[in-house]
Amino acid sequence: MTELFKLIENKTLQEKLYHFRVDPGMDLYVLPRSGYRKKYAIFSTRFGSIDNKFRIEPEQQFTDLPDGVAHFLEHKLFEDKLGNVFDRFAALGASANAYTSFTQTTYLFSCTDRFAESFKVLLDFVQEPYFTEQTVQKEQGIIGQEIKMYDDHPHWRVFFNLLESLYQAHPVRNDIAGTVESIARITPELLYRCYNTFYHPSNMAVFVVGDLNPQQVYSLTAENLAAKNYSPLGTIVRSFPAEPSEVLKRRAEQSLVVSEPLVFIGYKDIFVEHLEGRELMRREILMELVLDILFGTSERLYNDLYHDDLIDENFGAEYTAESNYGYVMIGGETKDPERLCERIIGAIEAMNNEGINEEQFERHRRKILGGYIRRFNSLEFIANNFLAYRFRETDLFELPSLLQEIRLEEVLALAAENLETQRHAVSLILPAG
Amino acid sequence: MKTDYLQYSLPNGIKLHFMPTQKFKTISIGLFIHQELNSELAALNALLPSVLEKGCRLYPDYLTLQRKLENLFGADLSTDIIKSGERHTLAFSMETAHDRYLGENSNLLRESLAILSAVLTDPLLENGAFSEKYVKQEKSQLVKDIKALLNDKATYATERCLAEMCTGERFGVFRLGKIEDYDKINPTELYQYYKQLLACNPVDIYVVGDLNKQEVLDAVGRFFNFSRDKKEINLPATEQKAARTEVLSLEEQMSVNQAKLVLGYRTAIGFKDELHCALLVYSGILGGFPHSKLFMKVREEAGLAYYIHSRLERHKGLMLIAAGINYADQQQARAIIELQLSDLTEGKISDTELENTKRGLVNQLLSRQDSPSQMISFHLDGKIGGYNYSFEQLIEGIEKVSLTEITTVAERIKLDTTFLLRPAEGGEQSDD
Repeated sequence: MTELFKLIENKTLQEKLYHFRVDPGMDLYVLPRSGYRKKYAIFSTRFGSIDNKFRIEPEQQFTDLPDGVAHFLEHKLFEDKLGNVFDRFAALGASANAYTSFTQTTYLFSCTDRFAESFKVLLDFVQEPYFTEQTVQKEQGIIGQEIKMYDDHPHWRVFFNLLESLYQAHPVRNDIAGTVESIARITPELLYRCYNTFYHPSNMAVFVVGDLNPQQVYSLTAENLAAKNYSPLGTIVRSFPAEPSEVLKRRAEQSLVVSEPLVFIGYKDIFVEHLEGRELMRREILMELVLDILFGTSERLYNDLYHDDLIDENFGAEYTAESNYGYVMIGGETKDPERLCERIIGAIEAMNNEGINEEQFERHRRKILGGYIRRFNSLEFIANNFLAYRFRETDLFELPSLLQEIRLEEVLALAAENLETQRHAVSLILPAG
Repeated sequence: MKTDYLQYSLPNGIKLHFMPTQKFKTISIGLFIHQELNSELAALNALLPSVLEKGCRLYPDYLTLQRKLENLFGADLSTDIIKSGERHTLAFSMETAHDRYLGENSNLLRESLAILSAVLTDPLLENGAFSEKYVKQEKSQLVKDIKALLNDKATYATERCLAEMCTGERFGVFRLGKIEDYDKINPTELYQYYKQLLACNPVDIYVVGDLNKQEVLDAVGRFFNFSRDKKEINLPATEQKAARTEVLSLEEQMSVNQAKLVLGYRTAIGFKDELHCALLVYSGILGGFPHSKLFMKVREEAGLAYYIHSRLERHKGLMLIAAGINYADQQQARAIIELQLSDLTEGKISDTELENTKRGLVNQLLSRQDSPSQMISFHLDGKIGGYNYSFEQLIEGIEKVSLTEITTVAERIKLDTTFLLRPAEGGEQSDD
């Protein structure tokens, strides 16, 4: 079976990516990588922790979900009538796993032998739901432990406490795993309802990378999906609450057993929801430049703060942009959170007044390009990120050309727009006792 | 694909290991200075990479060095201190994108080696000592790092178990030493120690990437040809010790939600032991994979834990089992864990468990060949353990492991120390 495909070439990386459409409407991407021992495949659905209210056309009624369903479903797919899915991968020498984010759930394996068989196991288990009262109940205990583990984790807590402060209504403020109480409300019926909506191939995509023949991977996929006899699915309509531009509260504090206070400053991006595709990615690259010029290890601020013993080498800043939310987070461990926050906010104001120079802009641009190329050593990085970008209607391979396009003035304009003191909040973890 | 290193010895005794390969988008360099792990030297060793990285004569402060690296397309220079068995290794790594992808007439191999050489062999000195400012600053950072062990509760529990288990042994020394060790260190003494270390201790340089043999030899030869002592010192091997006769059981209370259980075992099987591969398979069957006994029984069947696994310290011959559980479930979890160990001793291992574990281990080994840093650390492990297994040798060894060998391993494994981090009484427990 030879199928037409679209070839996506990247001259900088010297890579060729094969893009197939597989009936009933699923995207399949194959990136051949010669010389690698490992083959890595992921199967992802556009269903994450924020998708908690939805309907399928032509339904009128929305379904509301308790927090943590996408993650719970991820756990439960690893068990079916035949037993534990890990055993099937293990018998083939493959290593399997899965993860759930705000916007997607991804199932994955890597192997160095018997790819076709492992690939079939991946496609099959994700397409075979099996939920019973008893298995759901047992999983509540396991995930309960996962939640407790994160409850003791200072970096996880400082992060979610900040999102809870920045957002008033958007579900990104809720923990991906939910709470012990919310997962107690999950039933097999609810899981089936979500499964039948979000796990239709038209809402999913597959990415495979390794020393492989793209046409063969296509055939394996097409045959597998054809045998499942899918009916077309109506359009999925997701509903998100209106999010005010103001933050919910300026400050969150929690006590935990830690050696030093931990502080994150966050800024809510209220413009990102009007952007999509290439423009969204452009904003992401611009923000990466802004943050690196403000807080990077090669700039004055970082070195002064380090010298003044206000930060350690884990201090950093990050920007996240999805199609309906976005935020900046800056921070780390510090002996003096108040002074650190003042210095951070001061540096942002100074940049708005004093600007940045060509040398800085060019140097950071080179750094981003080099870092991007280096990351392409990792098959996991390529697959995971390609689909994450794809689900935002953007393309990981576009980065070098976007990096060429952007101008210094845009960086400054974005810093002024997006690091607005009015939309900031501070999250603090303080040493208990 | 062959994964062998071309090996050379520089005139000053430094060993160069070069792997030509077209697989990667990068040029990767690792430089390692080996020292023994002991309580007197631990803080000095930990401090050196941090101080060296903060400033050298050519790049006298961190900002200048970082700008230089950014202009080399974000070359990444990182330093570390590795505790492996009873070795303490100073690590310097450099990774750049390969020139081929940059569309510029650059020579990133030479540039990288020049920077690495500047950092290591031409440090910033004041009156024959390291810069006082940097030494003070890095001492303070490392003291913070030692205190920060508390922040990750699983790591904290593991380190506490190991420290108690190996009190009085060199392995009992923490990777960063003790807080009080740092008070005593002064910049002069630190520099004298460093000179001696660089002159007398074994040094390995690794280069991995699509490069020409001659250009690598020329560049390394040019930048690392400093004079050293004629004779390198011999570092002591990691010692094995028998498990204590009565198990040491420790508990610590803390204001946490989840209890962390760590069980420390002595395997009496070292890195070069003929049962090395059998030990890998043993620990794999017990708790190395999601198909392993511990994961299946404690997590999947009893639903008591989210994470539970067994891990090996292959040089010292230790095995640790770690789990996050409800304190109230502690006894039940312990009972299930002990049953799995006794099943292994009695040879209650299905063909499927044995085969799947072997395949999983082989898959892990082959997968390491797809990462330059893993290729380097694999070989470095051999240098530390005193024997360089090849991938082929380990794979063959694993495939040949018999049930009898696994039960022999099981008989040698003895519980030594248990550590339980538990929620404080009357604290914020939400256990049911």
